[in-house]
Amino acid sequence: MINVRTLEPGTRVALTDGSTVEIVSNPKDGIWVFARYLSSPRDTSLVGTEEMVFAQDMVEIQTTP
Amino acid sequence: MAIAGKRRYTGGLVDVAAGQISREIFVSDEIYAEELERVFTRAWLFVGHESQIPKPGDYFVSGMGEESVILCRDREDRVHVFLNSCRHRGMKVCRYDEGNTPVFTCPYHGWSYATDGKLVGVPYFREAYHSKLDRSQFGLVEVAQLEIYKGTVWATWDPSAPSFLEYLGEFRRYLDLALDAWDGREGGTEVLGGVQKWLIPCNWKFPAENFSGDSYHNISHRSVDLVGIGPSGSGRRDMRERLIGRRLQICFPDRGHQTGAYVLPNEEPTPPAYQHSPVVSEYFRRCEEQRRERLGAWGRVTGAPGELFPNTALHPRQPRSIAVWHPRGAHRTEVWRWYLVDADAPPEVKDFLRQYYIRYSGPAGLTEQDDMENWNYAHAASRGTIARRHPYSYEQGLGFEVENYEWEGLRIPGTVMDVTDSKSSEHNLRNFYRRWAQFMDANSWDELATWRRRP
Ligand code: FES
Ligand SMILES: [Fe+2]
Repeated sequence: MINVRTLEPGTRVALTDGSTVEIVSNPKDGIWVFARYLSSPRDTSLVGTEEMVFAQDMVEIQTTP
Repeated sequence: MAIAGKRRYTGGLVDVAAGQISREIFVSDEIYAEELERVFTRAWLFVGHESQIPKPGDYFVSGMGEESVILCRDREDRVHVFLNSCRHRGMKVCRYDEGNTPVFTCPYHGWSYATDGKLVGVPYFREAYHSKLDRSQFGLVEVAQLEIYKGTVWATWDPSAPSFLEYLGEFRRYLDLALDAWDGREGGTEVLGGVQKWLIPCNWKFPAENFSGDSYHNISHRSVDLVGIGPSGSGRRDMRERLIGRRLQICFPDRGHQTGAYVLPNEEPTPPAYQHSPVVSEYFRRCEEQRRERLGAWGRVTGAPGELFPNTALHPRQPRSIAVWHPRGAHRTEVWRWYLVDADAPPEVKDFLRQYYIRYSGPAGLTEQDDMENWNYAHAASRGTIARRHPYSYEQGLGFEVENYEWEGLRIPGTVMDVTDSKSSEHNLRNFYRRWAQFMDANSWDELATWRRRP
């Protein structure tokens, strides 16, 4: 399981819906991060947008900065 | 207990005209529940100081009545006060005392709020709520009115309350004695160190009435005076003013605020103070000189303890601080004390004052310990079935108040009691309870804003 509090900006993370996001900033509340979509099979219009991403939606760290 | 034909409190449990007040208003759990509603949701309450949240994202968790609130500065630099309770199931969204954050995230199910109060994160918004929850309806609950006055932050839950300045009325002059720089420049004070917080086993009105102007209890501070904790080495503070000036008790009957004050004779310079340190005493000598130049006759007025209705106490001079008596049940009070200092005072002055302030006030302060002992035991001894049958006496000085008081060319705003010769009066205490009873009886601010009804 990912310790969300330790995710640094630039880290790439895979989500439950198959999307990949890159961490923009981390409020370190252990629940949310601010991230930018790099890909989204669910909705391609999300690519490039920034959203708050919920900890339980993050499944795997892909790369660290 | 209520007397037929009269309101329950005014002239009933609170009989100011006769100088008698029932112990029930201090020890009854039902009356306590009623005052949370009728006093604390309608009055203006002190929340904190701007210097505690200088940067965007800074927050300080404070309280209004029994409720936890968040004082914070949003990303656009606007100051807010929010109820510290999640809109989903009520969890405290901020469990720290102070800090800096981009969001307040609820630890229970993870709803997340921006520093402007907007609900910005809802877990499984798309999946579980099918994107249907109207997030704009579920931001943090914000106070109805907020005012920043010379750095201090005040708020009320009541949208129909008058503005803070109207609520203050002419008492503003006395609040300024605590908030203006020592040399008389407007504002210019900041919070020194952290906020002291501690619990005491008594009703919040015991300390509130004490700070309203109970100088009768000076006797109970005699041991501190003997120890000589004062900043010049004797007494508990520098007291020469009371030997050469007039000692006044001043109140505002329509507002419920009251304070003590000293007025120096014309042409008389402010007596030397803080003589334990040459640097500090020189700092204050220069400030007092400039204050007299800047303020003219009003510079002859020196502040003494006061109470801004309902639960904010002022200590404008020595030690300069603001206290809030947070109600925590009928039988418990949480005291929060903020210490104030000129923001641009030299470090040596701030350090000297810090040492003096904590020697005097706070849970370890010698003077405050005397007070707490009195309030705590008075409360405990008033709870019994027999004790409750016997009202307290507030008759001291009844009928000797003066309007339009003037001394050596200086008119003093408010209703004044000159206690230079009489030594003491309970007229400020009666004023506090008169207003408290009005709040308990009145159904709206239309009734409470009595000054608006005058021709
Ligand atoms: S109580 Fe806050 S998210 Fe449920
Ligand atoms: Fe005292």
